[in-house]
Order: sequence, then structure tokens, then C-alpha cells
Amino acid sequence: MGRNRAIKTFDPRRPGLTLDLLTETDARLPVIVELLRSPWIMRASEMVAPASGLAGKRREREVEVVWDARRGAPRSFALDDGHPYVVDAVVQTWAVERAWWDPRRRLSRRCFRVLTRGGLYDLAYDRIADRWLLTGIVD
Amino acid sequence: MAGFVHLHVHSHFSFMDGVGAPDALLASAAALGMDALALTDHQGLYGAVRFYRAAHEMGVKPIVGVEIVLEPVGIEGEECDLPPDARLPLSAPVGFGRAAGAGFHLTLLARDIAGYRNLCRLLSRTHVRTGDEPSVVTLAELERCSEGLIGLSGCSRGEAGAAVLAGLGTRAERALRRLARAFAPGDFYVELMHLMTPDAPRYIAGLTALAERCGLPVVATNNVHYAKRRDFRLHDVLASAGARTTLPGPYDRPNAELWLKPAGEMRRLFADVPKACDATLEIASRCTLDLGLGSFHFPAADVPAGETAYSVLSKAAWRGLEQRYRPVTPEAVRRLQHELSVICDLGFPEYFLTVKDIVDFAKSRGIRCSGRGSAGDSIVTYVLGITDADPIAHDLLFERFLNPERRQMPDIDVDFDSRRRDEVISYIYDRFGHDHVAMVATVNTMTARSAVRTAARALGHTPDEVNAFSRYLPWVSSHRLAEVLATYPECRDHPLREAGHALLVELASELDHTPMHLGTHLGGFIVTREPIESWMPLQWAAKGVVVSQYDKDDIEALGLVKMDILGLRMHSAISDTVRLARERVGEDAVPEPFDLPHDDRRVYQTIAAADTVGMFQLESSGQRNLAMRLQERDFEDIIAAISLFRPGPLEAEMITPFIRRRHGLEPVVVPHPAMGEVLRGSYGVIVYQEQVLQVAKAVAGFTLAEADSLRRAMTKGRSREAMEAIKTHFVERACGLGVERAVAEEVFRQLEGFAAYGFCKAHAACFAVVSYASAWLKTYYPAEFAAAILNNEPMGFYSPRLVLDDVRRHGISVLPPHINVSSAEFTVEQDGGAVRVGLGSLLHMTSRLLDVMQAERDVRPFADLADFLKRTRAEGPAARSLIRVGALDGLGVTDAGRPPTRDEMLALLPELKAVIARQGVAGDDTLLLAPARARGPVDTGHVSGWTPAMRLSAELECLGLAITAHPLALARADLERRGVTWARDLSACEDRSRVRVCGVRERAQTPRTRSGKRTCFLTMEDPTGLIDVVVFEDALDRFGDVIVKHRAYLVEGVLQNNCQRGIALIADRIEPYVVRDEGRQPVRLRRGVGAGPLGPTRPGAGAPEEESWEAAEAREALPAGEAGPTARRPARRTRQ
Repeated sequence: MGRNRAIKTFDPRRPGLTLDLLTETDARLPVIVELLRSPWIMRASEMVAPASGLAGKRREREVEVVWDARRGAPRSFALDDGHPYVVDAVVQTWAVERAWWDPRRRLSRRCFRVLTRGGLYDLAYDRIADRWLLTGIVD
Repeated sequence: MAGFVHLHVHSHFSFMDGVGAPDALLASAAALGMDALALTDHQGLYGAVRFYRAAHEMGVKPIVGVEIVLEPVGIEGEECDLPPDARLPLSAPVGFGRAAGAGFHLTLLARDIAGYRNLCRLLSRTHVRTGDEPSVVTLAELERCSEGLIGLSGCSRGEAGAAVLAGLGTRAERALRRLARAFAPGDFYVELMHLMTPDAPRYIAGLTALAERCGLPVVATNNVHYAKRRDFRLHDVLASAGARTTLPGPYDRPNAELWLKPAGEMRRLFADVPKACDATLEIASRCTLDLGLGSFHFPAADVPAGETAYSVLSKAAWRGLEQRYRPVTPEAVRRLQHELSVICDLGFPEYFLTVKDIVDFAKSRGIRCSGRGSAGDSIVTYVLGITDADPIAHDLLFERFLNPERRQMPDIDVDFDSRRRDEVISYIYDRFGHDHVAMVATVNTMTARSAVRTAARALGHTPDEVNAFSRYLPWVSSHRLAEVLATYPECRDHPLREAGHALLVELASELDHTPMHLGTHLGGFIVTREPIESWMPLQWAAKGVVVSQYDKDDIEALGLVKMDILGLRMHSAISDTVRLARERVGEDAVPEPFDLPHDDRRVYQTIAAADTVGMFQLESSGQRNLAMRLQERDFEDIIAAISLFRPGPLEAEMITPFIRRRHGLEPVVVPHPAMGEVLRGSYGVIVYQEQVLQVAKAVAGFTLAEADSLRRAMTKGRSREAMEAIKTHFVERACGLGVERAVAEEVFRQLEGFAAYGFCKAHAACFAVVSYASAWLKTYYPAEFAAAILNNEPMGFYSPRLVLDDVRRHGISVLPPHINVSSAEFTVEQDGGAVRVGLGSLLHMTSRLLDVMQAERDVRPFADLADFLKRTRAEGPAARSLIRVGALDGLGVTDAGRPPTRDEMLALLPELKAVIARQGVAGDDTLLLAPARARGPVDTGHVSGWTPAMRLSAELECLGLAITAHPLALARADLERRGVTWARDLSACEDRSRVRVCGVRERAQTPRTRSGKRTCFLTMEDPTGLIDVVVFEDALDRFGDVIVKHRAYLVEGVLQNNCQRGIALIADRIEPYVVRDEGRQPVRLRRGVGAGPLGPTRPGAGAPEEESWEAAEAREALPAGEAGPTARRPARRTRQ
């Protein structure tokens, strides 16, 4: 198991230790989102590694996104394997507009960090290519 | 009503850090349904007044504010005292001038007029405090001036925001607490921005938490820098160019979110902090600034105890009446009474007294001055000595100047002797107090050239490329750039036409009229009763004077007194001419030219012969053409000539009917006899604005005040309905007086057609007084007049070279410069028969050398080059120029028993300089000369050893003058072989005959024409005179690039020679001409460029056009008919 073996093999549900304070999904979600949005939490993905930029894993691939016009945010997305990921909450949105004067390097995106059952994902809508990208599985 | 108000908004008055005019931002806000909008430009209120006025017109509540740079307040001491990891990043060097990177941003909003005045004081004190310190506001100053102000903690470059982002919560909290104490309770807000960056939630949460801990309210803003999202590119370009860097620029913005977002979008962004959006509405409701526009504020005039401003003015006016009118006429008395009563009713006596005070000072010091503009319509200004044209004699109407129906600030412009204008300015500061006087600003905006340079720099082009892109671009608005590049012939080979520069052209086009920096008005001064800093912010201008942050329109809107103290070089030239003439012929022999009766037949003959080079307002090619057709006979003709050759009358084509009717070639037809009476002097043509008033009075019974209101209504761009209403009103009034409806409608049609184009007769009459004085001096003292004109260059329409050629054509000798005779200025010798060229404008000449030369020459004349160098220690470049123009010709003797040639002197110069330097320093008297071997005399017939072409090239390069001869005089044989007709012979050629002329370009103008087509009016000169060439659009398309890129041309075309049109050549073929002497040696026509930081060491600097002979040589080298594009593009040269 390598390093941190004790942590990885730690069973949180051992007898006598109660952790499930919020047993329902609806009750857990706001707490998770609040925690994710908290300014005092620094995520590993945002930490700068000494040699190669961001420490978190960054991937970029095209995804199918179902858009929720009412909320102005993705409702769900599907990866290559067709497995749908329903967006439980939009944790953060931001925009990127870079190198507009250079057609080869230009970047124009609207990004959404979303919480799904599978984790925390960064989705980006590419305004130039008119397509959705999964730009990161960040935590 | 929208649920949000933007309170942090930058317009393009943030100078290179904002896009869009205030009214564009207001229009966007109004379209979004916002009831209010703030304007918070960097470090100033540059756009505040126009924003305030536009907002009221659009029904949006204006909130005037500013974004300042504040010293660090969250720490004790300086930022640099902190350890590096505790320091905060300072703002980028954009939009804040010297304060960039010296403090943190803070947003201030004026709650009321007290807040506005405090804002002005705060900015003025910060900017004007000392010369070199950056304009950073101290906390102490902010505390002193915070009454009536609402403070917002600023953007992420504010101290609190920057500290939160850097994780320095304690510092952020301390900064917020100290800032909050500087304002009244409840007047300081913590500013939150959600700029759609990954940091934004952390930033907002951090600041919100701090605000709660400090008990401060929060407010949401968006740091707006452009109205529409698509304008983010321009913002990046401006910021990059402003910071002298390339894209992405100093901010390296991650996105394009600084636009004027709708309320819904802002509410969505701040869904977690709705009270931040609510606070914008609350702040907007608390800001109730009223600038009180519409009232006037005059400076304090000197009024003795027991008197009023009116009584003092009235007494001075009556005294003046007795001096101006001898005998005093009942009409003059009636008119003065009327004008004084109107001035009193409108409350303007103090203004007139202020102007009189300044003019009286100038006259008491012998500083020549004269009023101009519509002020000449008033008998009060005439009798006070402010203007010099008699309003009764010239039918000038007071109501054109001051309309009792419209309480508008009068505007009296006065021209002063430009050389002594500074004395007048000093007096104004002393008289009214330095705290009450400031200069008016101008806003320098981008044209096509500057927009291209800005965009090209931001896109990372090299300085050489930037120069190449902007060269040859005409002076047009940048929004026309694409059209100009596509259609203008001079842009045929322009590098911007290449496809790769489409983005540059697009960006430059969108930068049209973007302000670049604040300038100083030529002569506008603001004088206030209260300290001026309570009215407007002040700052240092590049000229080293304190200027207001407002331009003349803003000053006028505020109701403050603005006076134009303009410098007129013609006044200096007239004074110089009188002085030179009196020195020659005696003090009493030359009368004061402004006091002369305007009836000298010789003067009018000189003007009618188009011999007007140097004459004020009468010398341009158009005026000379007009003079030939008009044949001026009296003073009224001079007024008419000045008025007719103006853009308005030209556009309305008034000249042709005026001339034809004057010469009886067509009948004078007017729709109503009363109109004929009014327009008798102008042959039924409405030339003057005053005539519109008189016609409306005569035909429709309007009072002159009503008539002036009618004129103003007709000249503004009215809707069809509004104009129809005006017409109905006029026609009904005329019909009421028994005028037939059809006649009344025809009169109105003519008024409507000409009202917008007429010229103010008073303005022309004021100018005509100066024109007559200059014409009289040219007629009777031509040498002195020419010397005075040349000593006051740059002035007038023509180059010094042409003025000197004109002197020569009048039989006056032109004497070359010489170190033993010439002074800095041009002088008159041989009892008015010769003009000696001065050395003041010599290339590389220094004032030190001129002074030393004069002082040494007073001891004894210079014997030779060595003697000159030894006694003056002349700088090398200046000495070289002196040798090259022949100022040392004939001095000294060589081994050959003759004076050294210029080549020999130039070869000897460095050796002599070295020897003289050693003598001075080491006491070494050994003379060791080993000069480079100089070529022998090229032309043994001249003492200089140089051919005429060589001498002429040197004169043109070092002095800009042709002393040896006119350049084309050297090519006389070649030109005659080519069948060229000389300028003096054109009058003898038949109308519509085909001729070929050759000349050196003097001016090329392309004024707007009614048809909208481009027509170039080209003024050329040959040894015998001036030639006017008209190049219509089809010829311009083919030869426009030749006109722009070359200096001498052969022009073929059809001659127009008749009394209706005068003499002009209609060009159909233009080709460059290389001027060569008989030995086929070319003459260079280019003026040298003085050394300096942007001098000849930088390629392209100071060289507005390419040499003609290189390109022409390339063209000549090709076989006939093969003058392709390569021949047209001049060879690229590097200037050293």
C-alpha cells in the first residue's frame, strides 16, 4: 500500500465512532458545497508545485453537457464511456479570455466547477469552438 | 427600475485605462434600465462635467466620483520597510501617471456639492503639491477633505483587497478601520467585486468577513472599464500602450468581465451577499450632487468704494466713445446706451471690466493686441479699446454677440503680440492671484495616425514598423482608416493594406477619438472669484503650467469666465516692421499702422495684384486667387475676401455668384426689395451671419434678438418638423407685414440655405484691420516687412524659403549669411534694398554661440576659421553648418594664395578643433595640423569652390532657404527644353489652353467640398512666381502618391484663366522632377533635422517625406512606360 498506509486502511465506521452526522444526501450537500467554497480551504489542485505548475491532475477532453437554462449552469454531463454525471451543485464559475490577438493561442472559455456524485469536476464551454470540455478532475 | 447601480466605472477619461465616452456608458446604463450611474476615472474628474450634463439629458442620475491612489494605511511606515514576503503587489503603471505603483486604489463618490468641492481640493492639492512627487493622496489629506464624500475600499488593488488576496487579513482589517475613521460614520463601504476569476469567491468571502468584524457595510461593484463586453480588446490595447508594453499588457487580465453588466447578472454574481447590491441603490439615493449649471460666476473686478461694476464700465465706455468718435454721433450714443443697458441687465459688467483691465495693461506696456470674433459686433468693446473695427461703419450687430433673449456667457478673444504674451499672462496671475487663475485644458484624442501607432505598439511591432505604418496616413479620423487605405492614392503602397494587418486596422479604427492625454489650450485662462480649486481639479501640464482638468466646454457649462489670451505672430511681425522701418527712416516717418485711415489706393492695388505673400489672412493661394477675381478696392472688400474664403462660404459656393454679380456678369436678384437693401454690399448674396439677422428683421419684422435666435435655430441640426415650425413662424410673421407668402417662403429658403454657412462679419472686420496694417507695411516697407516675417517664423501660410523668394522677386537683394555681418535675425541693409540672412535658424546653431559671436565681433571681425573657432569655441556641428552655408566664405588665405574652399575648411575643422582644445587644456601651443586631403575647387568661379547645386543643397538643408537662387533656376535650360511655361507667363496664356508647368511644392490642401469628392489644391513655386494647381479626384487617384512623396513636379493640364475663376491649372498629369544644375548634379530639397533625443539618430524621425530624387531616379532608370510599383516605392534609407 506504500506510504500513509494507516490512513488508507483506516475504517471510519468501526464500532463506537459515529461520523454520519448528516445521513441524507440533501442534508449533506449544502455542507459539502459550503466547505468547498470556503476561502480558508486550499485545495491540492490549486497548490503550485515547484516544477510544473498546478499540483492537481489536469485533463482536457470533450464532453456532452446538458444545459440548465434556468440556472444558467450545466445540469449533467457524460464522459466517453457514456456514464452520466448529474451535477449536484455548481461550486464556482469563472471565465477565461486569453491571447485574443493570436488565433493560434486564443482561449475563450466559461468554466464551471461542479460537484457530482463522482467528485469535483471542472467543465469549460469553449466559445470559439462551440463545445464543452472537461478540463480537470480536481479533487 | 433595475436593482443595481454601477458605482465604480471608468470611461476613456481614465486615459489609456478605459474605453468609451461617458455618454456611451450612460446610454448603456439607460438601456439596462438603471436609474443612476457613477463615473470614477483615475485621479481626476476629466469627464465629470460632460458626464453630468449627458446624464441629465438621458434621465440618468449622475454620481461623480474618482478612483485615487492612497498611501498605505494598513501598516506603519513605508511598504518598502516591510520584509519582502509581507509586502503587497502595487498597481500596474497605467492610468495613474506618476502615482502608478506608489499606493493603493480607493474609490470616492461626491455625495453633494460640498463633497464635489472637497474632491476638487483633494485632487488639486495632490496633483499640484510639488513638482516631482507622485500624486498619491495621504490619509491626512483625505481626512481633511472627506466631508460630503462616500468612500469605497477599492478594487483588488486597494489595500484591503490586495491584503485579502495575499492572505494578510490583519493588515486588511487595520486598513479598513483606519479608512473608515477618515469618513463620516456610514460613509465608508467595503467594496466587493466578482470578476469571474477563480479567486473571486475567496476574495468576496474574506472581505465580507472583515466588513462584519469591523461593522462596515459592503457594496458590490464591477470595476467597469468598458460598456460592452466586446470592447475588452480595446481596453487591453490601451492598457498595454499606456504602460509602454505589449499585449497582454500590465494587468494580464485573465478574462473580459469589466463591462457594464445588467442588474440581474450582478445580482446573480452576488446571490450570497444581496445586501451588497442593495447598498448600491442606497448610495445612489444618497448622492444628490447639483453643480448648479446655468448660472455665471465672474471674477472680482476693481470697483472703487461707492461705485458698482456697471457704473465703472459705463464711465469708461462714455470716455472711450469720445475718443473713438469725433464728433460723437447720435447713432453712436444710442447704440452705446442700448448695449450698456443690455450688458447691465444680463449681469456682465464685471466680465467686460476684467477684459478691459487686461487689454489696458497690454497697451500701457506697448504690447500690441486686438480683439477678434463676435466681440467686434459691440460698440462697448470698440470704445473700450478691446476691438478696432467700428461696428457702426461696418454694419455690425450687437445681438450677434450678446443676445438679450439668450443669457449666454460672452466670449471675448484677444490676440496679443506672441513674443510678449507671457508678460500679459504674468500680469493676469499677479492681478487675480495664483489661486484664482489656471489654464484651460484640451483633451488630445487619437486620429488615424496615433490610433495606428497605439495599436501597433500594443501588438508588439518594432518602432521602425510603427513608423512605417503611420507614415503617409492622412490626418483623418481613425474610423475612416479602412476606407482611406482602400481609396486614397497616397496609401496605394501602404504596408497596412497587407492582409496580415487586418486586426491592427480594425483595432485602430475602433480607437477613434480616444483621449490620449491632457493638453494645454493655446491661450485659454480661467479666472475665478473663489479659489479655483473649489471649482475644478488642477494639475501640472507637460508645459510646466497648472491646468484645469476641464476643457473649454466644461468651463463654459460651469458658468466660469474663460478668456483666450492668444498669441498672434503677425502682431510681433508688425511691431518688428515698424521698429526696423523707424530705425531706417526716422521715428516720426512711420505712422502707427493700426491708426491709418483705410483709403490708400496703393495698398489695394498690391492686394488686387495678388502680391500678398506675408499679409495677414490674405496670403493663401485661395485668397490670392480670390484677389485676382475680386480686385479689392476698399476696406469692405477686404472684409468680404476674408469672409468668403472660409469653409462655410466655400462649401455653399458663395464666391462665384458674388464675383459674377460684382462684375455685372449676372443680375442681382433678390425675392424681396427689403432684402436687396440689406444685401446691397454683398450683391444679394448672404455672406455674413449678421445679414441673416438683418434680413429677418427687414422682411419678417423680427427684433434683432429674435432674429439671432432664429439664426441659431437654423444653424443647428434640426429635425424636419422643427425646421418646418421655424419656417411657419417666419412666414406668418412676414405675411403679417404684407409680404406675399411665396416671397416669404423664398426668403426663408435662402436664409435656411445660407445661415449655416455665413461667416461672422465682426470677426472678419477685426481681422481686416490687421490685414490692412500688414498690407500697408508690405507695400511701403517690403524689406523690413519680409525680415520681420522671417524673424517670426513659423507663421503664415508659406515657408521661409518662399518668403525669401518673394523678396527676391520684388527686386530686393538677398545677402548670404556671414559670421562678420549676420546676427541671429534677418536684417535690412542697403537702405531697404537688401535683406541679410540671419543665423538664428541655422541647423545646429546654439544661442550660446550666437551670443559669443556677437560679443567677439564687437571687439574685432573674425579673420579666418581658426580665429573664429579659437575665439568662439564653436561646437563642431554648428561650425560645420556655418561653413556649409558660406558664412566663412572668403576668410583667410591658403598656400595657393586664395581663400580656402568650403571643402578645405570642412576638412580642416576637426584638426583645428583638436588643436584648440589642447591649447586650452594642456597649455600646449604646438600647432600640428594634419588635415585630411580635401578635394580642390569643384567650381573655380566661386570663392566657395562649390557648384551652385552644392551651395543650394547646403542652404536648403541647413537654413531651409534658397539663397543662391531658386532651385528651379538652376534647371532653367532643361525646363525650357521640356516646354515648361513659367508662372509669370501664365496670365498671358489663353483660357482653356494646355500648358506644362514645373514647380516646387509649397502647400497641398484637400479641403472638404460640397460634393464630398476629394480635390487637392496644390500651391507650387517656380523662379518667377506662384502657381495654383487644382487636382480633381480622378487625377488625384492617379498621382496622389506623387504629390505626397515628392517635392518638385512637372504638371500638365488645362489652364483656367478668366475673371470668374482666376488663374489656375487643372492638372491631368503630374510627375516628379529631379532638380539638377547644368552639370547634372541633383539638388536636395530636404531641410535638415536638428540633433536631439528624437533627432537624426532614429530612423524616420523628423522626415515627413522621402526624397524625391531617389524615387524619380529609379523611375527614370526604367524604360518608358514601365514605371511599375517598384518604381513608385521610394528606396528605404537609414538616416545617420
